[in-house]
Amino acid sequence: MSYEMIALFMFSVMMLMLLTGQRVFGAIGGVAALAALMLWGVGGSDIPFSAVMKLMKWYPLLTLPMFIFMGYVLSESKIADDLYRMFHVWMGGTAGGLAIGTIGLMVLISAMNGLSVAGMAIGATIALPELLKRGYDKRMITGVIQAGSSLGILVPPSVVLVLYAMIARQPVGQLWLAGVIPGLMMAGMFMLYIWLRCRANPELGPPLSDEERASITWGEKLKLLRAGILPLAIFFAMMFPFVKGWTSLTESSAIGALTAFMAAVLKGRMNREVFENSVRNTLAISCMFMWIIVAAMGFGAVFDGLGAVKAIESLFTEKLGLEPWMILVLMQLSFLVMGSFLDDTAMLVIVAPLYIPLVRALGFDLIWYGVLYTITTQIAYMTPPFGYNLFLMRAMAPPEISMRDIYASIWPFVVVMVLALTLIMVFPQIALWLPHLIYNK
Amino acid sequence: MPKILLAYIRWVDRMNRRIGRIMMYGVFAMMAVLLWSSISKTFFLPSKWTLEVAQFALVAYYMLGGPYSIQLGANVRMDLFYGNWTQRTKAWVDFFTVLFLIFYLAVLFRGAVSSTAYALGHFGDEPFRFFWELLRAFFTGGMDAVREHLGFIERSPTAWRPYLWPVKVIATIGIFLMLLQAFSEWLKDIAIIRGIDLRTNSPAMLDERGHAVLLGAGAEVAGARTGDDTGGEAR
Repeated sequence: MSYEMIALFMFSVMMLMLLTGQRVFGAIGGVAALAALMLWGVGGSDIPFSAVMKLMKWYPLLTLPMFIFMGYVLSESKIADDLYRMFHVWMGGTAGGLAIGTIGLMVLISAMNGLSVAGMAIGATIALPELLKRGYDKRMITGVIQAGSSLGILVPPSVVLVLYAMIARQPVGQLWLAGVIPGLMMAGMFMLYIWLRCRANPELGPPLSDEERASITWGEKLKLLRAGILPLAIFFAMMFPFVKGWTSLTESSAIGALTAFMAAVLKGRMNREVFENSVRNTLAISCMFMWIIVAAMGFGAVFDGLGAVKAIESLFTEKLGLEPWMILVLMQLSFLVMGSFLDDTAMLVIVAPLYIPLVRALGFDLIWYGVLYTITTQIAYMTPPFGYNLFLMRAMAPPEISMRDIYASIWPFVVVMVLALTLIMVFPQIALWLPHLIYNK
Repeated sequence: MPKILLAYIRWVDRMNRRIGRIMMYGVFAMMAVLLWSSISKTFFLPSKWTLEVAQFALVAYYMLGGPYSIQLGANVRMDLFYGNWTQRTKAWVDFFTVLFLIFYLAVLFRGAVSSTAYALGHFGDEPFRFFWELLRAFFTGGMDAVREHLGFIERSPTAWRPYLWPVKVIATIGIFLMLLQAFSEWLKDIAIIRGIDLRTNSPAMLDERGHAVLLGAGAEVAGARTGDDTGGEAR
């Protein structure tokens, strides 16, 4: 069998296993093991396990359970309730203010955890019912929460960027910093969009009634402002020593997990159930991630051995004669297509190892590409019909929000995100300015 | 179903559940080691063992916790089609595809045993025979005979230079437990095909979008799950 045939065979078996619903790590790892045995016999049987040892030495992975734990503590203990109240009283007076405030809430939640689902869970369970009660247009706010939650993996700390860093062999710190300004820019664009729409059509987001506004005293307003200190405190406790170089990435993540845990304890929200759920779910999700990564590393090793990346590169550049920029755009488009039916971790570990070497070979900056990659995958997860986030949203949102609403809600935000993506592609400095400033490159 | 298989399922599920429930507190162990690392670095001399101990802990955490995460149904599946199938169709398809998972775990297990043998100084490619001889030496000549048998013991190439065999043994055990669990899942699929639902604490606690619930901190569902858990303990 020629190498191309083996590569093709590997992909078809994997797709078959994935589509018939076997656990993702089993599908990926099984294909890798099968191909390794076919190619290299008994000697090949060591490849899947050597991934375990290789992963052990890759220390940023230690941040994974820490950030997952942080996310669960924050969402299970409902610390975010106060944050929502804060934005509610401060922003409620203007048309669309609560929706704009929800984006602000999402930014703060993103700064405290590295997965987009935590933001979505908090948004869908806390913000969404409140907004519905106040007569906000349900299609608009469903989109607001989905779009806002996508900031979770762009604003540091971001688990996705940690995994990307592993595959691209880039420093995590720089990747995180590169995500800051694009993340804030995207948040600003979402807010602007909401503001413009509510100005044109105030019915979409009615301001709070005068009585309700009068019932909130200034003292209460100021007191609620304190809620905003918490996420900032957690964020700085974690990021400041790291950026200063006092602690390593992994140590900072442990500090972050500890501060989040302490905050929940001090606020009196850490009861037995919250503790049990956070600890157990952290194990479950960490194991899921780790086993998928182990399997994917094995897959990647076999694929490297085949020289498949070289084959793909020559296909694009020599056989099709494409310009690097066109290849880049094509890659982003193929991400959009694949992301609409692949799960996010699966996509990261299957597709990224193929594309990242290609991006490097084409001479693009891999830090910058990390930001593009993250935004593109987020767009992909929220593109109908099979975007992963859409189903998550359906599972979490109140029943009056139908799948049709979710599908309809997302389009304007997808347009905004594509716009942001284009801006960052055309002006790489949006992403690269901050890491260059801090690391003096 | 034969009694012995039922006993197997019950026994494996219970053992893996207990191990998993111990391992889940490992997150605090890793946190403590990393915090100690940052404290010692700031105030005293940096410790040279912290990072590697944390790495070993992570391996133990996900390897030994893995079977419990399978029981919790946390391992994502692509449910584009799978999600819409009936319980029976799922079981039929899984009956075939779980074999694929078992195959992967078996290859992983062989690699783990071979790597552990390497860490104990066996450079050939008959790791199982090496361990068999090790065992025989232990029963005939005690620890001295075992020592005789060992070769160059592998150490990590860092300043601390820890032996690598303990973490490899842990990984091997973890993969073996995964194998046991995967086989138990396979038996449960057969049971469903024959019309018996043996799933005690597994997918039943998660809905169709089980992954979403797990990730999404759905408080009600999580609460219900805690109830299940204590029920499982009493059994």
